[in-house]
Amino acid sequence: MKFLLTLSFFFFVQAVSGQTAIKGIVKDSKGESIPGVNIYIKGTYDGTTSELDGSYLLETTETGKQVIVFQYMGFKTQEEEVELNGGEIQLSPTLRETINEMSAVTITAGAMEASDEKRAVVLRPLDIVTVPSAMGDIIGAFQTLPGTSNVGNDGRLFVRGGDASETAIFIDGLMVGNAFGTTASNVPTRTRFNPNLFKGSFFSTGGYSAEFGNAMSSALALNSVDIPARTQGDLSLMSVGLGYSQTLVGKNNSLTATANYFDLNPYQHIVKQNFDWERGPFGVDGQVSLRQKIGKNGMAKGFFHTESGGMKIWQKVPGQEGRGQLVDLRNHYSFGQGSFKQTLANDWSMYGGLAFSYNVDEYNVAPFEIKNTNQIVHGKVAAVKGFSDRFSLKTGTEVFQFSYRESLKSEGLEREYSDAQVNVFSEADYYFSNSLIMRAGLRVAHTSLTGQSWVDPRFSLAYKFKHEGQVSIAAGKFSQPVVETLRVVAPESSNTRASHLLLNYFLDKNGRTIRAEAFYKDYVNLLTYQGERFLYRDIEQNGEGFAKGFDLFYRDRKSFKNTDFWVTYSFVDSKRIFANFTQMVQPGFAPRHNASVVVKHFVPKLKSQLGASFAFNDGYAYTNPNLPGEMNAKTPSFQDLSISWSYLPKPNLIIHLACSNVLGRDNIFGYQFSPIPNENGVYESLPIRQTAPRFIFLGIFLTLSKDKTANNLNNL
Amino acid sequence: MKNSILTIAFLLASMVSIVASNDAYVQAMQKALTNMRSAASVEDLKKSANAFARIAEMNTSEWLPDYYAALTYANMGFRSQGSLAEKDEFYAQAKKHIQKADAISPNNSEIVAVQGFITMGELAADPQSRGQHLSGEAMQLFGKAISLNRQNPRAIVMMAQMEYGMAQFFGQGPEKACGLLNSSLELFAKEEASKVEGSIEPRWGKSMAEEMKQICK
Repeated sequence: MKFLLTLSFFFFVQAVSGQTAIKGIVKDSKGESIPGVNIYIKGTYDGTTSELDGSYLLETTETGKQVIVFQYMGFKTQEEEVELNGGEIQLSPTLRETINEMSAVTITAGAMEASDEKRAVVLRPLDIVTVPSAMGDIIGAFQTLPGTSNVGNDGRLFVRGGDASETAIFIDGLMVGNAFGTTASNVPTRTRFNPNLFKGSFFSTGGYSAEFGNAMSSALALNSVDIPARTQGDLSLMSVGLGYSQTLVGKNNSLTATANYFDLNPYQHIVKQNFDWERGPFGVDGQVSLRQKIGKNGMAKGFFHTESGGMKIWQKVPGQEGRGQLVDLRNHYSFGQGSFKQTLANDWSMYGGLAFSYNVDEYNVAPFEIKNTNQIVHGKVAAVKGFSDRFSLKTGTEVFQFSYRESLKSEGLEREYSDAQVNVFSEADYYFSNSLIMRAGLRVAHTSLTGQSWVDPRFSLAYKFKHEGQVSIAAGKFSQPVVETLRVVAPESSNTRASHLLLNYFLDKNGRTIRAEAFYKDYVNLLTYQGERFLYRDIEQNGEGFAKGFDLFYRDRKSFKNTDFWVTYSFVDSKRIFANFTQMVQPGFAPRHNASVVVKHFVPKLKSQLGASFAFNDGYAYTNPNLPGEMNAKTPSFQDLSISWSYLPKPNLIIHLACSNVLGRDNIFGYQFSPIPNENGVYESLPIRQTAPRFIFLGIFLTLSKDKTANNLNNL
Repeated sequence: MKNSILTIAFLLASMVSIVASNDAYVQAMQKALTNMRSAASVEDLKKSANAFARIAEMNTSEWLPDYYAALTYANMGFRSQGSLAEKDEFYAQAKKHIQKADAISPNNSEIVAVQGFITMGELAADPQSRGQHLSGEAMQLFGKAISLNRQNPRAIVMMAQMEYGMAQFFGQGPEKACGLLNSSLELFAKEEASKVEGSIEPRWGKSMAEEMKQICK
């Protein structure tokens, strides 16, 4: 025992006397010194930190073979083996940069992201809901972003000279069919989904990833909220309806059930309308959404939405006296999906799901009774493998089942088609450095209806400058089947296709965002035909077209206190041979000059957010049969000034008041012409106008929760 | 007999070494804490954070080293005069360490309070765009920290700060915030009275409460 003690004492003394000094300078691969590096001897408490000039001095009493660790965020941890035997050791390592998710370059060509978590975002989810002209509709907010056109008699999303069918909408990666409510012609529609369902969105106006198919011009991916913060009830009372939502939150799961009722009838009786309503739009909808955490990082989601509604409207017929034609419309819609994502070992992750959309439209336009049924089933599984911090590969497969049937019940006529489409996509991301990334992808697909197979390559490259601005290019081919109403008549038609080329500059710094993008897009395989809906004939697939232009976006949250504003200008030069046109024309849905301004100002004293938005375009092209040629006329410019006022008297109460087109401008979106000239040889016309001079929205939103900190701010 | 003596000797020796390594841990922590408290700049804090990170590497079953590393990074974020990206980088490091601490010691009121503190930092870095979604998150974390330990003055004083901000936003009086502040001050006093020299337990946050006193006069 005594011997042991002596022995250990001996060793102790030995250790103290042999002190080694390790010194040097830590540099990066560019030769610049790195301060703040954590330098230590593995398995001991001995360590130090590099100084501002990268130099360090580490003194230790350890002896023998030891490992010195150099550790610094943003760099690969480096280990150096040394022999410590007293005296001095010089050690000046060069640390290798790792790819830093927080500051590395991102591909911004075509993309506009709204998120709370990520960088390079253009909007926050909250910003979307508070755009005054949007009236709580997600799409209304996107219409203030670059690359979009406001088509006021339609309401859907029109991107860069493309029609509304060219934008595909996804929820948690799965396609949504009939995302917009069914409506009568020239009566604008809205998205079926409440903005509060989503925590973020990815909106691309071109050049998007190989992950997105069946979209020729644009992809809008909406990401639903994960587990909500707390158990609460949300009550909404609006000038056009009411709703209640109950959320139950457990430790690893949640359930939200929502029911809404809306009816524009009472409102339309109070406020004068341009349209002749027999029965204002009405509807009921219900949603259930379920969330379950799987393990540490995984999540499974279930979402079910169902709704039913309708409207009855008298539509005047040009050249005829009286109220015109009565359109009686009923719609039934269901959307359901289950999705999952899971992080696995060895830098693998997986996600996917299954979704179905089922839409039934019933039109009664005397003497016809029409019923259309559209169903889309979409299944998807994708896996991502990170081979290193620089290289990752995403591979997935998707199956779509498209079924469509339209029937003329009164005549006993019916036609339909069904198509199964199989897709495989693969895409690689490679970081050359923190400032240069390349993405290359391929999408291969096959359709059962025509037996056609196709390949869509995609490519993008982005470079980040020292000043944090970044430039990206993107190119690719994009395909989608012909719209249902034509495909049912011409099921043999192949895909319509577009090619995109984009050049983008993006800078987001100190609360200001600048984005500029130039684009070129061409179209092939567009359909041309004679006649109109239900009576198409002479269908051919030799149409083509192009769209080129640029857009500018500036957002500033910094320059004025409590004020956030953005300004957008989009120039689109688009021509195509399509529909019943015989030559290249500017489509009616593609105005050349488009601009918008959105301003939001918070007044703490009034506990209020005041907003205004102004939208402009130079008018819509239309064909006047009284003049020679096609698309030979243009409407006056479109202008809309909307304002809103959100008042928060208490943390759990919001009162929101908004008014569109405050100035009451009589915007005209085109004209309807009588198919035959009158006795004077003139084709008589009726302007296509707005639903009403103005739309006024009043809503009261109340959150009920045991948790006193609960507030409605998220719903603002 | 010989065997049992050897066993005893071995046991004693290993006990000594456990005590010794534990001593080394406490000593290293004490030294790092002293340096942290006297840190005058972001660079000094970086040295402390590195020191805590080193201790964490050595003691993978102790939550305090990662806890203090996280706290130090959060303080760097608050003190930094740099860009938003730089602040976010500090908070990202803070989150990394607090997650490790949380994995070692789940449902620990002190750890949850620092999670809230980090969220508060991220909020303060860009209140205009983060205020709305992060204020709720921060309050929820402080609420959880308080429910885990009603005697945690740090969680209570930070909750008081959030409550005060909320009340200001909605033009309400500071009564609720001040009530919380007072109970935190009492708890801080209690904590100080029971202070053990060289303790490495969390004891920070009193200055926060002292500063807030002005409001509640």
